[in-house]
Amino acid sequence: MERLLQYVFDGLSLGSIYALLALGLVVVFRGTGHLNFAQGEMAMICTFFTWQFHAWGLPLVVSVLLGMVAGFVLGAGVEVSLIRRVAKKSEAGVFVVSIAMFLGFNSLAGMIWGNLPPEEMPSLFPDEPDDFVRIFGAVWRYEYIGIMIVALLLMGLLFLLFAKTKFGLAMRAVASNPESARLVGIPTGVVLAASWGIAAAMGALSGAMVGGLAGELTSLLMFTPFIYASASATLGGFDSPGGAVIAGLLIGVGEQLAAGYAPGWIGQELRLGVALVTIFVVLLFKPSGLFGSTKVERV
Amino acid sequence: MMKINHGSPQHWALRTLGVALIALIIVWVPTQMSTSRIGQFSDAFVLIIAAMSLNLVLGFTGQISIGHSAFFGIGGYTAAILIKDHGWSPGYTFYAAAALAFVVGCLIALPALRIKGIYLALVTLAVAVLFPTLVKWKKLAWLTDGAKGIDSVRYDELPVWPILGELKGRDGRAVFAYWLAFVLLVVTYLVCRGLVKSRFGRSLVAIRDNETAAAVMGVNLTVTKVLVFGVSAALCALAGVLSTLRTGVITPEGQYVTLLGSIVFLLIMVVGGAGTLWGPIVGGLVYVWLDNTTRGFGSESDGVIGFLFGWSDQSPATLILGLALVIIMFVAPYGLVGLIKRLWVKVVVVVPKPAGTSLPTTGQ
Repeated sequence: MERLLQYVFDGLSLGSIYALLALGLVVVFRGTGHLNFAQGEMAMICTFFTWQFHAWGLPLVVSVLLGMVAGFVLGAGVEVSLIRRVAKKSEAGVFVVSIAMFLGFNSLAGMIWGNLPPEEMPSLFPDEPDDFVRIFGAVWRYEYIGIMIVALLLMGLLFLLFAKTKFGLAMRAVASNPESARLVGIPTGVVLAASWGIAAAMGALSGAMVGGLAGELTSLLMFTPFIYASASATLGGFDSPGGAVIAGLLIGVGEQLAAGYAPGWIGQELRLGVALVTIFVVLLFKPSGLFGSTKVERV
Repeated sequence: MMKINHGSPQHWALRTLGVALIALIIVWVPTQMSTSRIGQFSDAFVLIIAAMSLNLVLGFTGQISIGHSAFFGIGGYTAAILIKDHGWSPGYTFYAAAALAFVVGCLIALPALRIKGIYLALVTLAVAVLFPTLVKWKKLAWLTDGAKGIDSVRYDELPVWPILGELKGRDGRAVFAYWLAFVLLVVTYLVCRGLVKSRFGRSLVAIRDNETAAAVMGVNLTVTKVLVFGVSAALCALAGVLSTLRTGVITPEGQYVTLLGSIVFLLIMVVGGAGTLWGPIVGGLVYVWLDNTTRGFGSESDGVIGFLFGWSDQSPATLILGLALVIIMFVAPYGLVGLIKRLWVKVVVVVPKPAGTSLPTTGQ
């Protein structure tokens, strides 16, 4: 029972990070219909910004906020300067450009920061070995609790943004029909740039939390979380923000349970396999995911 | 601009000149160049084969795949295991690897029947990431030797080929690997050409351009997609076998076995020209040249390069590749081959034969 509770709790906490990243993928997909392959790498480079601000002496919370601002600027900038222009030419071009960004950001981070030993990344939350409470016998680390609260809080804010504000309405209009949205006077360009910006800012926050958990920064920081996030977005349905969150939590719990209860077969080394097999199975049997809508194409 | 007729003597002269030039370069490389340079060309040939296989699926059929590194790895591991554990002669492992990869490729194509675009990209992404993880898995260590990989996979004695004669030592191995890679490159090119120019190839392009319309026209989507994935996987496995035989080593983190390999194949195909037969060839040569040139850029460089990249200890090679990819997407969406074709028509235009005539006609 304690073990089960422990796995579920750890899973929910990690899952909320995946959910945050997956939500970024979904926001971009709903806006422009693209999979941003570089989402993880953008988050990684923003985490380096965060680290840099902190290294310059700013308090960590301020650094993370600045990192998120940098992420917003980066995401919106990428959409305006690259994605929008390539999308006019070809759909596959956007995928190629996002692969190019994946390579570019990864290399750039290595060139700027990578020649030092792995950077020490402080955690946003108390992370000393004895910073935990025991609830029903399971260890609930403050850091994990903090991650979960912050992630859920941000996601709550986002849903308020989508559902209650004029900007959210504009985003939904652009997602459902860009041309009609433009005709009724919605500045679609601004909305799309902002979608990319918001996605990258969320990435920056999840990067700061992943970095804090890992304790160090490398240019490979966000690759694995990105895979988990893709799996979450796939499972939840690429056009469903709520689905992405639920699926992120499910995958987090699922991988913890699988790794915990089958240490011989799955264990730590094949944890990622759980996410990968999820992608494969979901797309084979229910390509629209659990909560996504099926696309109907007219001939 | 000059106009010449298809099949006219001038056209034949131009063609002969082209073929002679290519033949000269192909013979020049292994006979006149240094061993390391020969190795670079062999490496380029391996990558060209892989990019050609990807081109079948992505360039011609429009099915995004970033899972080809797994097929490459399957080829490499099949060869290594058969040679080291079962004492196979390296030559036969090509057939075994291709057959195995064909089956795996067909299986992976199954989700592709229902999904496309980014969803397919995701499935293949999962395949690319899963492969090295599985290879390192401790339950499979008896087969794959886990993270340390399999080494000294090689010909015990190089086979003696006509014309080449007996080859010995390190240099001989390099020359042999070069010719082996070249032969497989030609085979792969011919397979791709044969497929693309056939009825099957037209159905591939039809699927790429409009899947629904293709189905309505009588293209069997299921069979076509599964087959093209299988063939593509088999060809990519050949590249994997070749690479393993050339370097003698395969590890789960090997250069082209991880997701990065898939990205490299994609990059070569896009830079050269997706959906063209010559695209991967041009792209592969350019990639290897660019990679080898830019790898040395860094703090020791002077001039413009030193100014641009001298501030970092790490090589900017990957960054430059990423930039090159973006620039190509903007400047030449049809790749270098598309660009060359566009420039070439400003020099020479080959006027095609009017339909229904067999004799060349003069002028227009």
